Amino acid sequence: MKRVLAVVLALAAAVVSGCGMNGQESIVDKDQIVIGVRLDLPSIGFRKPDGTYEGFDVDVARYIAAKLRKGYSFLPVLAADRERVLVDGRADMVLATYTISQDRKAKVLFAGPYHISYQDILIRPDERIANVRDLKGRRICEVKGSNAAQRVVEERKVAAQVVPFEDYGQCLAALKSKRVDAVTTNDVILAGLAARDGSGLRLANAQFNEQRTGVGLHKGDVPGCEAVNRAITDMYQDGTAEKLLRKWFGTSGLNLTTIAVPQFEGCS
Amino acid sequence: MTLVQTRGAAPPVRRNVPGRIRVISGITVAALALLFAALAVGSSSARDGLRVIGRDAGPQVVATAGLYLALSDMDAQVANMLVMGDQYTRQRAEALDQYERRRTEANQALLKAFELSGDNPAERRTVESVLDGLGRYERLAGQALLLDERSAHPPGPPPREVVQTYRSATDLMRLELLPQAYNLTLETGTIVRSTYDEKALMVPLVRGAVLVAGLIALGCLIWLQVFLARRFRRVFGPALLVATVTTAVSLFFGVNVLGQDEEALRTAKSAGFDSVLTLARARAISNSMQGDESRYLLDQERADTYEHTYLDKSLSVIYFDAGNLDAYHEKVAERSDDFLGLLGPELVGMEGEDVMAAYRDFQAADMTFRRLALDGRANDAVAARLGPVTSAFHSFDQAMVQLADRHQSVFTAAIDTGESALNNLWRLLPYAIGAIGLLVIAGVWPRLKEYR
Repeated sequence: MKRVLAVVLALAAAVVSGCGMNGQESIVDKDQIVIGVRLDLPSIGFRKPDGTYEGFDVDVARYIAAKLRKGYSFLPVLAADRERVLVDGRADMVLATYTISQDRKAKVLFAGPYHISYQDILIRPDERIANVRDLKGRRICEVKGSNAAQRVVEERKVAAQVVPFEDYGQCLAALKSKRVDAVTTNDVILAGLAARDGSGLRLANAQFNEQRTGVGLHKGDVPGCEAVNRAITDMYQDGTAEKLLRKWFGTSGLNLTTIAVPQFEGCS
Repeated sequence: MTLVQTRGAAPPVRRNVPGRIRVISGITVAALALLFAALAVGSSSARDGLRVIGRDAGPQVVATAGLYLALSDMDAQVANMLVMGDQYTRQRAEALDQYERRRTEANQALLKAFELSGDNPAERRTVESVLDGLGRYERLAGQALLLDERSAHPPGPPPREVVQTYRSATDLMRLELLPQAYNLTLETGTIVRSTYDEKALMVPLVRGAVLVAGLIALGCLIWLQVFLARRFRRVFGPALLVATVTTAVSLFFGVNVLGQDEEALRTAKSAGFDSVLTLARARAISNSMQGDESRYLLDQERADTYEHTYLDKSLSVIYFDAGNLDAYHEKVAERSDDFLGLLGPELVGMEGEDVMAAYRDFQAADMTFRRLALDGRANDAVAARLGPVTSAFHSFDQAMVQLADRHQSVFTAAIDTGESALNNLWRLLPYAIGAIGLLVIAGVWPRLKEYR
């Protein structure tokens, strides 16, 4: 009877894992998973000259893969690729400062968030901007493909002058040469940039616009999402989250007074 | 020669008849055992599913959602008291009462959640951590209230040191305690989903096995009867006939009950639990939304952040494509039914419309309230927050409670139906097993005796 039961359960498991996924297997049932990480953000997801990756997102990805007992490989992604690599199946999981939003949820499933960040403002050491409203009439840099500067103008309705640039490198150069007064985006990105720059640029700690950074998964991978959420809970309970945040952002001026497991988005 | 052959062949035939009776009876008994074993496995699997979903997860959702609401409302009441300033004496006393009541509720819910967390270590750690944090929160909230009373400020934002102290308290609550309570609620959803997925496959498979085993057993009983009838030239063996009928009836009821349980599990999850859970989450998020309104008024430096979290939470409850809060208010007021978000799939039927109407009123009240705050009319904004906004929120919350109650009763009824079907089956099945056993013996024994 035990044997029959085992066979029945094995069959059942095979059917369960197969349904509702449009042929894509849940990460729970795979031995090897492909994880999409950023290659362009220092301290978050960054590809070193030797081809290996480092950063907060990368370490979190490693922790989750270990908790799920999966082998893994990294796939480098830029902001614009994140959704596509999940939808076309090139990646099983994406940790790349991927902010959870209601419209993104139509295409991908989010586990987590594993970190709550805020939109913040990077300024010169002598600057006195403390709040998003202080950006009124000031020049702020906008990087192509990012909507952070637009959010200041539209969502927060602050009349700042938006100056477009190709990437964060040019933005920082413009900030230092006073062609713009501030750079605004996700605080962890700014903290990473400031740390790498090392010339004393600082965060205003304005902390407006909460951003929930989640783990992107194939839409329909509910068991995978639940397993990742449990791994994130463990990461905070066993102190790894705090260790990693301090390791990557401890000296960056990022506000780390509260380190606690974030409120999950839910997998259904 | 022929005679000798016949004589030689006859004794083995005579010896073979009791042997074959024994073999056929043995197979029959084995098939019957298989049938009842399959029924037992199917029943215990279904019962296990009903217990996990109905008796553990259901109450767990209620307890953890209750915890979230109590904690969230404690923080909202503190924020309310801090913006009341030196007026609103009666409301302040009421708010303090409510704060105390919520604290009691939170403690009870924590105990219940701890009890229900069973042997899940991560859940236990979470409950303990909330319990710990709640003590710290009360101390900080107490300090903020004391400083506030001493400062005797007019209604509106309190002095800086009060705001600073409250910030530590509300950060602890919103960033540490509430997420843990919310995640506990989500975890019960995980348990229910995995249990249901397992049972939804297991129960039908076992039901199939019951059917096959039952048909084999019936076949064997008929085979045994036919064999005996031929050998002993009797048309009927009454005992075996009754045994066959009893087996057929047991099979029919067994398959039927397992089918009912399958249906009960499906109804309990899809029509009951899923909606109860979703509405519990929506209530939790909405409750912290109304807290964000008070915090928006109280902490001017963080007003932008609180306005944004309010919008973000609104979007997750009922989603319209809107870039800022003004646009969102407009979209909600347009009375469109085309929305997504947590409540998107839930708001159907009359109760659903009631919820949506109440939500529209709440958002309209919010719009008026924010306009007063932006115009610098702090006193009027406080009055709006404590009056129309609060009552609009309560109507919205009540409408959600009513909708949730309906799903809760579907859930409870489905679990009860499933369990009572199983109970009825197993009240009769032992007698059936005993009766069939005795009847088979009664049918076979006398025939075997003829060979003694």
